[in-house]
Amino acid sequence: MNSIQSRQTKRRILQGLVIIALLIGAFYAAFPVVWMLSSSFKSNRDVFAYPPSLITDSFSMSAYAAVLTNPEKVRFFTNSYFVALLVTLFTLAVGCLAGYSFSRYNFFFKKPLNMLIISVQAVPPITLLIPYFSLIVTLKLFNTYAALVLTYMVLTLPYAIIMMTGYFNTLPKELDEAVMMDGGSRFNALWRVLIPISVPGLVSVGIYTFMQAWNEFLFAVTLTKTMEMRTVPVGIALLMGQHSYEWNEMMAMSVLGCLPVLLLFLFFQRYFIAGMTAGSVKG
Amino acid sequence: MHKVTKKLAPFAYLSPTLLLLAVLSLLPIAMVFSYSFLNNVVMEKNPVFVGIANYIEILTDAVFLQALYNTLYFTILSVVFHLILGLAFATLLNTKLISPLARALFRVVYILPWVFTATIIAILWRLMLSPNGVVNYMLNEVGLASGPVEFLSSRQLALPTVTFINIWAGYPFYMVSLLAGLQGIPSELYEAGRIDGANGPQLFRFVTLPQLRPIILSLAMLDFIWTVQQFTLIWMTTGGGPIHVTEMLSTFTYKLAFSSYEFGLASTSAFIILAICMFVALFYVRQQRAADE
Amino acid sequence: MNKKVMSLMIVMALLAALISGCTTVAPAAPAAAPGGESAGETVTLEFTQWWEPELPEGAFRALMDEFEAQNPGIKVELVSGPYSTTREQVVAGAAAGTMSDVVGLDGAWVNDFVKQGALASMTDLMTAASFDSSELAAQIQLDGATYMIPVVNFVYPVFVNNDLLAAAGVESPPSTRSEFADAAAKLTNPDANVYGWVLPLSTELPNGIQNDVMSWVWASGGSMMKDGQPDLTNDAVRSVAEYIKGLYDAGVITPGAFTMREPDKVTEFTNGRVGMMVDSLAHINLIREQAPELNFSITALPAEDGYTGKRGLPYASWGIGVAANSQHPAEAWKLVEFLMSQDVNSRLSSIAHAFPGNVNSTPDYVETDPLFGAAFEVFQQGYLANEFTGLPTAEGLMRSFDEQFQPYLDGSQSLDDTLNNAQAAWMEQFQ
Repeated sequence: MNSIQSRQTKRRILQGLVIIALLIGAFYAAFPVVWMLSSSFKSNRDVFAYPPSLITDSFSMSAYAAVLTNPEKVRFFTNSYFVALLVTLFTLAVGCLAGYSFSRYNFFFKKPLNMLIISVQAVPPITLLIPYFSLIVTLKLFNTYAALVLTYMVLTLPYAIIMMTGYFNTLPKELDEAVMMDGGSRFNALWRVLIPISVPGLVSVGIYTFMQAWNEFLFAVTLTKTMEMRTVPVGIALLMGQHSYEWNEMMAMSVLGCLPVLLLFLFFQRYFIAGMTAGSVKG
Repeated sequence: MHKVTKKLAPFAYLSPTLLLLAVLSLLPIAMVFSYSFLNNVVMEKNPVFVGIANYIEILTDAVFLQALYNTLYFTILSVVFHLILGLAFATLLNTKLISPLARALFRVVYILPWVFTATIIAILWRLMLSPNGVVNYMLNEVGLASGPVEFLSSRQLALPTVTFINIWAGYPFYMVSLLAGLQGIPSELYEAGRIDGANGPQLFRFVTLPQLRPIILSLAMLDFIWTVQQFTLIWMTTGGGPIHVTEMLSTFTYKLAFSSYEFGLASTSAFIILAICMFVALFYVRQQRAADE
Repeated sequence: MNKKVMSLMIVMALLAALISGCTTVAPAAPAAAPGGESAGETVTLEFTQWWEPELPEGAFRALMDEFEAQNPGIKVELVSGPYSTTREQVVAGAAAGTMSDVVGLDGAWVNDFVKQGALASMTDLMTAASFDSSELAAQIQLDGATYMIPVVNFVYPVFVNNDLLAAAGVESPPSTRSEFADAAAKLTNPDANVYGWVLPLSTELPNGIQNDVMSWVWASGGSMMKDGQPDLTNDAVRSVAEYIKGLYDAGVITPGAFTMREPDKVTEFTNGRVGMMVDSLAHINLIREQAPELNFSITALPAEDGYTGKRGLPYASWGIGVAANSQHPAEAWKLVEFLMSQDVNSRLSSIAHAFPGNVNSTPDYVETDPLFGAAFEVFQQGYLANEFTGLPTAEGLMRSFDEQFQPYLDGSQSLDDTLNNAQAAWMEQFQ
């Protein structure tokens, strides 16, 4: 009786500590974002008022209205979604195939290739800009979605491959062998067994890929030229004028940009939980 | 015949990757590599081959050496703190001590720094850290500071400050990956540990960490490579200043290219960055090989 | 085995579809349509600039529509990007041969673009069109040929917060350096978070060196050049450096100077935290809009005590140039001519709140707005001075001066070392 009681108090204390720690962490993570939200409702001048306050007399939704009622700016959002979704889809598909190859086969160029895939991302994009731009122009991809999608695939694939190789490595080879014993092909083993088990990995790689594609600025501004092709980060930069910034609209645009991403994350969270049960299958 | 297809099978799986990387990555990299041996490429129609003169010029440049030091400081601290925070938050969020709903909500809150483009992160922190910003206001109200602290414009604080901002912006990436990793650890391992009489910290030390080790290694290596190249955040907060204290290899390279129009030297600098990253990647591949065997 | 190959092919096919599909999805992707000769007589000019987003919505497009109406057979496609990335875009475009026919230019870029071979000589174009260039207020020339024409100019006078000045007991806006220093000292009250002057020295956007530092040299008739070569160790530059150091040491400059950028200094002023700033006239309306009750006026940049000559006024321009690889140089010139014509230039400078690039143009605000009227007077009594325009790697020069100037201000480098180092850094670019 006593020991159960003391265990319960211990649990309570632990619970309290965890909640306190979580709240402190949440403040650290969220305060700047709260500040962004608050700035998006202020007038440009009050953004810099001192002493600062969360809500000022100039509270207004006009920055949001300015963004949402401008078809050009709405187009930035649809462009960003379209590009980021395609990139996520293709990167996951291509990355899974490559990861499977690295995980399940032994072949001659394996190590050098692995090394190569890691190191291609080590060249600062800003120096690649000029040759890369010329290349895209030569391929007749300048100012197309394809230019952005392919570029972001190149940027995100190394991570996807490394991660998917890692996840597949944790899954016992007996799983594939069982499928092949039943007459299935290797590809079947990948598609039917390994990929469903790897959902948590896929989700985290997918989220990463989506974020990268969503937030990339340098190539987005270089490889497109018309307003119809611009993405959200370029749209935000367009509000930073030569002499002055539209602070509230910039903030409003980032807030609007992050909402759907957060919803997406909220929705996919349950796959982490699903991953728990999947992970225990192999035991 | 069958044997050949079997040998080619891994390459078939890799073919989309290889095609993409060869055309859109290796080709431009090779071009940049050739630039690094030329004088005044891009600006001149007929650049001159200068051998390793560019490399000598860059490697003996005092600003480059300072940028190298700053980049290592920035990168290593960022990677270490990303890992610590990512692991701490992932563990907290994975605990069953709080309700699933609260966990879900906290997860969304914790991922917030990750969903913004670097431009916005930079200007948001500039805004908050300015002498008239909210951080200075709070510090003064609480009594931790008297008078405005020039976080980004003082020579002592600028580098730690941009590092802090980068840590804030980057930990969710670790957190998400480690969260997925944590949930892949079979609960039997913990049960077995408990039967052996291990307490919480011991379980963490002897079960959680070893299980996460491969993920942590990959994350740290990738993060190193990415952080070494971090440009936007630095450029938009301090521009490498004041007086080079936040000069990074990336800002140094950018200035060579687009401020001095020395594309040959910029390419050289880029290749030195690549070499540093290759070194880290080599270390990582070694580690992996050791783990495989 | 077949299945596997099939699936791989599906992925590849998807990728291929993506490449071709997206190319067609993009509505405005005539990547290779140099003029579109096939579409009959119509010539499409591409015009890259950062002006459209800076102007009231639709205003610049309206001017282009007017041009198209006047010139049947020429269409103008506006390519608008953020100011901060325009330069990179032009460099990359010139390297890849896809540069727009007409480009917006900043005087600080011209020299480098000409070196790169990106810009066409407009002298030839003017001759071919038998254009009378006496209407042009300025032309940026290199080796005797014109490469950029300033379309509109933004002058940088001193903005003064009248209420702060009155409260500090300063009766009239300062006109000499000692008056300015005196006023700045009286205005400064750190407890109330008010400072005398704001100085943006960010190395990211180093144009503070041009507008807020070297401008003091020009205002007293001095120069940072001699016979086309840098001359940073002369007395004019030296006295300005010492003067600003004096202000810095007196603590009258707003904190955070070393990473402050031009847009930041304006917010300090609109929030009533700084009494005086050197700033672009383009900001008058912005300040009025953001702080309607702020009582401010405009005055010329102070000169050395006892100086009676004409005062140089720093300025920034929206310049225009024609690409060397343009297929339609004659049509491109027509667009330049249109923008420089008396009536259009008047209207453009009116909506941009700038001074016209055509000597005969008069923006309407000069008569209707007393503040602009005052500024116009300042403008007419002085002369436009911006020695950075047309210099090689002009922005790099500002940056390397900045990198020497900061340690001087914070006391870690002597004045001699500062100017000598800066001079040496500049000389490298002039060889």
